[in-house]
Amino acid sequence: MKNPRTGRFALGLAVVAVPLVLALLGPVFAEEPGRRAVSFTAGDGHWLGTDFVGRDVWQQVLHGGRPVVLTALAATTLACLVALPIGLVSALTHRRLLEELLMRPLDILLAVPSLLLILLAATVFSPGAVGLALLVALINVPDAARLVRAAAMEAAARPAVEALRMQGETWWRLAVGYVGRSMLGTLAADVGTRLTGVLYLVATAAFLGVGVAPDAADWAVMVDRNRTGLFLQPWAVVVPALLIVALTMGTNLLFDAALAGDRRSTRVQDTKRRGAPESLRSRAGSEARR
Amino acid sequence: MSGLRSFVARRLLLGVAQTVAVVLLVFALTEALPGDAAVALAGDQPDPARIQAIREAMELDRPAYERLADWAAGLPHGDFGTSLASGRPVSRYVAEGFGPTLLLATLTVALLVPVGFGLGVLAARRVGRLADRLISSVTLAVYAVPEFALGVLLVTVFALRLGWLPPTAVGYGTDLLGHPAALVLPVLVLLSRPVCSLARLVRAGMIDALASPYAAQARRYGVSGVRIHYAHALPNALAPAAQQLARTIDWLLCGVIVVEALYVIPGLGTVLLNAVAERDVPVVQGLAVVFGVLTVVLNLGADLVAHRLAPRAGVAA
Repeated sequence: MKNPRTGRFALGLAVVAVPLVLALLGPVFAEEPGRRAVSFTAGDGHWLGTDFVGRDVWQQVLHGGRPVVLTALAATTLACLVALPIGLVSALTHRRLLEELLMRPLDILLAVPSLLLILLAATVFSPGAVGLALLVALINVPDAARLVRAAAMEAAARPAVEALRMQGETWWRLAVGYVGRSMLGTLAADVGTRLTGVLYLVATAAFLGVGVAPDAADWAVMVDRNRTGLFLQPWAVVVPALLIVALTMGTNLLFDAALAGDRRSTRVQDTKRRGAPESLRSRAGSEARR
Repeated sequence: MSGLRSFVARRLLLGVAQTVAVVLLVFALTEALPGDAAVALAGDQPDPARIQAIREAMELDRPAYERLADWAAGLPHGDFGTSLASGRPVSRYVAEGFGPTLLLATLTVALLVPVGFGLGVLAARRVGRLADRLISSVTLAVYAVPEFALGVLLVTVFALRLGWLPPTAVGYGTDLLGHPAALVLPVLVLLSRPVCSLARLVRAGMIDALASPYAAQARRYGVSGVRIHYAHALPNALAPAAQQLARTIDWLLCGVIVVEALYVIPGLGTVLLNAVAERDVPVVQGLAVVFGVLTVVLNLGADLVAHRLAPRAGVAA
């Protein structure tokens, strides 16, 4: 059981390393933009040829990873920062109205297909990179908030919370100190899967021309713009496409392997931390649910 | 039985609320335009005649609630307004793009269900062996890859290097069925993500169900393995998968837009992208309503089916 997981972890790490290093360190090694050459040529001093306006493809590749990765990271962080308080408050509040007020609008937002929402916004605002990050974050908030709420409700039903409440601990201490801390594992798992989804959306939106300049140095934009020259100079399309595939594939493999191990260890800790009477009670609870 | 009926009623109510919300959200699009909507839409050609034409076409002088009432009243009759760019009714755009998109979606779903379930059941029957490890790893890896990157690589390999398939559907118009070779790559790309997620879900559901007390009891009774697999375990693995099938609709919609752009198929996705590029707001709104309501209805259907399959979700799932 352990072997395939470690293998998958190593594989994920190896696959994601190349695009990630290129994305983060690429701009450091990039040279000043040289004179533009003829478009879609191969060789002639250009290692990977030239792109649709005659720029060096290798230089574009060095620059093009950073926007994808940074936008995705920003959107994921933002979505979590917004979803966390919404989910926590709606799980811990005793006012039903407040709970409905927080969660119902999100249910409705869930109904709109994600790419459609991005395209709708693009019609009106023509967003930049920041706008795209905000949009993608907004799309991810409903799902993340629901997950936070479910995890928080599970933690809030424990006797420890009752004890803290009876001791007159502050709401803050209860919500952040106990409930927030005890669902860190679930949240970490969610951030992992969410990042993969966000990478997908950010890259796809950039491919469709949302949130980027038409000649931007961005792997997804490169795939789109250089498609016309696919027959003349495939490297301008294949290299950025391969990098995006490696980035998304590697992220998914890596997080899956890492979290599978993590989940097991937290479960072990949980059973250790809980005393015998409580595990009995939780077993009774699960019996009752059946 | 009353539990079921109340679930159906609540779910229907949510569906209606979602439909109304989609319509309102799409309508709010014009209201969200910064400043004077007509000036904003004229964009690069801000000559007064064009601004005036846009103002008249969208009836921007009337109060918003009147326009909303008119627009919403027209929707059920298929009256979505007229395009700003061409002056043609939006319903014509929808009708033209509907065929290719429906064909793509039907083919994809028709292949998705058998392939996804087949792979999932195959993996679950051989847990831990080579077939399972192979299926699990590949589905996990492909699951997250954006369609456009995968699609472009497939074109490079199968159309450019090997020359087996046409690179795009250019020149075939809406007559795609007459050129099945042009459909292979688009459907393959569309299938990539949903198949992976469905196979993973079916596999997990089957493994859970096979480890459950009722499967053990059936084994003790001497029920044959085949029967336990297909008559007892599989139906219980279906419910979570049916719900996932609904979430797949969202991906299929995203996928259709990307795939149509990539393979130059004149479907609804292409119409939508063109309208977005031209800032042709009525067309964008019309298509958004079609896509949005379709999603709501399909989600509703999938939830009801999932509920029907496993009313006591939680036994095996």
